[in-house]
Amino acid sequence: MKLIWKLLRRHVSVAQLVGFFFANLLGMLIVLLSLQFYEDVLPAFTGDDGVIKNTYLIVSKRISAVTTLRGEAQPFTESDIRDFEAQRFTQKVGAFTASQFKVYASLSMGGVGVGTDMFFESVPDAFVDIRWPEGIGENEVPIILPRSYLAIYNFGFAQSQSLPKLSEGIVSMIQMDIRLRGEGGAERWIKGRVVGFSNRLNTVLVPESFMQKANAELAGHTTAAPTRLIVEVKNPADDAIASYIQEKGYELENDSLEAGRVTYFLKVVAAIVMAVGLLISVLSFYILMLSVFLIVQKNADKLQNLLLIGYSPARVARPYQLLALGLNLLVLLLAWVLLLWIRGLYLERLWQMFPSLTEGSLSMTLRIGIALFVIVSFFNYVAIRKKINTLIPTSSRTMRRGLYAAFHAR
Amino acid sequence: MPRVFRDRTDISSDIWLQDVTFERGHLYLIEAASGTGKSSLCSYLIGYREDYKGTIEFDGLDIRQFCTYDWTRLRKHSLSTMFQELRVFPEFTAWENVQVKNQLTGFKTDADIHQWFEALGIADKEQTRLGHLSYGQQQRVALIRALCQPFDFLLADEPVSHLDGANCQAMADVMMGEARRQGAGVIITSIGHHMELPYEKVFKL
Repeated sequence: MKLIWKLLRRHVSVAQLVGFFFANLLGMLIVLLSLQFYEDVLPAFTGDDGVIKNTYLIVSKRISAVTTLRGEAQPFTESDIRDFEAQRFTQKVGAFTASQFKVYASLSMGGVGVGTDMFFESVPDAFVDIRWPEGIGENEVPIILPRSYLAIYNFGFAQSQSLPKLSEGIVSMIQMDIRLRGEGGAERWIKGRVVGFSNRLNTVLVPESFMQKANAELAGHTTAAPTRLIVEVKNPADDAIASYIQEKGYELENDSLEAGRVTYFLKVVAAIVMAVGLLISVLSFYILMLSVFLIVQKNADKLQNLLLIGYSPARVARPYQLLALGLNLLVLLLAWVLLLWIRGLYLERLWQMFPSLTEGSLSMTLRIGIALFVIVSFFNYVAIRKKINTLIPTSSRTMRRGLYAAFHAR
Repeated sequence: MPRVFRDRTDISSDIWLQDVTFERGHLYLIEAASGTGKSSLCSYLIGYREDYKGTIEFDGLDIRQFCTYDWTRLRKHSLSTMFQELRVFPEFTAWENVQVKNQLTGFKTDADIHQWFEALGIADKEQTRLGHLSYGQQQRVALIRALCQPFDFLLADEPVSHLDGANCQAMADVMMGEARRQGAGVIITSIGHHMELPYEKVFKL
């Protein structure tokens, strides 16, 4: 092998290989970087708000004038839910359980009391990202409020009624007195404490276990057909979701697909950049092939000699194949190193903008890098072998394989 | 017959348009005048060209049917060739030129090869770059290289065109020694000056 390489390395143009190396490196880097950037930045737009994940959609049936006039509730039926569960974009479906009793909450601060009628809803615990505080007694209930409620109070209500403005922290410290009244007049007083705020959940959320117990106790039954569903989807940017919702006449709350749209554009941009990277990769592939072909052409005599004294085309091709393989591997490794370095730079900026951002994983980029390496190397491998085969007419024959060899094996 | 000859009507040859069989263990001489297709014949036999009419068979198998692997195997195990144009590597030393072949086949020991260099009078040139040797010396290196493999036939295309009588004899001894040892057939071509050997059959091309 050493001898062969000594012979065949002649006419290997360092300049051409360096040209290939940097072109391929650039292409590979652009591909991997666009991919990694996409992975890293995506959570900034689709990140969850601490209470429920971004991949949860809240679905209700559309309320039209007609349904209002008829006074119909629009619950989801069992089959509606099953159908939703059967969609390929669906991870899991949970139903909102509404309180079957009346809720009146009041709080007093410094002698000033405020009270309001309200309602509770619950969803299965698996859909709530924060842990419901444990050890809360029989007569206390943790509550999650929509952040917008606080804003309405602070900027609308409190301002006009000259009431104090409340921060989230303060609200969390205040205990509410809550009266639950069932249909038969059964009444119960409990304490309530706000344990979290959600941007994306337009309801007053309590633990499901509490809800079931209270419903049973005060309304005598636990189940009512849900009017809203919470759905975990695999990818909120999936077009199929929007069309399914449309088709069924459902509605999404809070336009939870907004993130999906941002994701979509991010995807498009990443895809364009990646395509440019791939194009550069393809071109660099041609540079390498041209360079190798040129070497083969210049060394044609030597290669023919080797073939004619009994070297197999595979063996003669091997040094060049290894050369290509080695270069590709070097490109891959260097691209990874550069990627990590550049990623470090932009992650720092990103964290300044989105402090809570969790970085995306590297595994996708690693896999794509390896895939590119394998594909490019494979084509190099085959192309070089084919080129060597053209050197002698009888070498390019692959049909009727092994006639003589088979004869001699007998 | 070479395709380029197809319009010629004046061909009288012991090989073209004839049925000829070469067998192991025998020694043949093909004498050719210039332009009678000697180089073509050699190219056909080693699978370098196939622009001929008719059939060439090896062990009863048409070589047109051979695939790449067959040819590689044939050249490596059964048919050794000493090319007229030598096909050696001038940037290698004489020793490396032989090693390129012997590393492939692993057929001869270094001692065997040294002995041949000795016998052919070029022992002192082993480490000289081949490009610096005379053509006659290169011919001898090419012969040693051709012998570093198992073969059923040795095809020597004008092996001694640049050698004097004494060297010619040394070469004939080395070549026939190895061929006899392997029980192989030897086919030598010549356009005039040839080794003095007990040829069993002489063909006029």
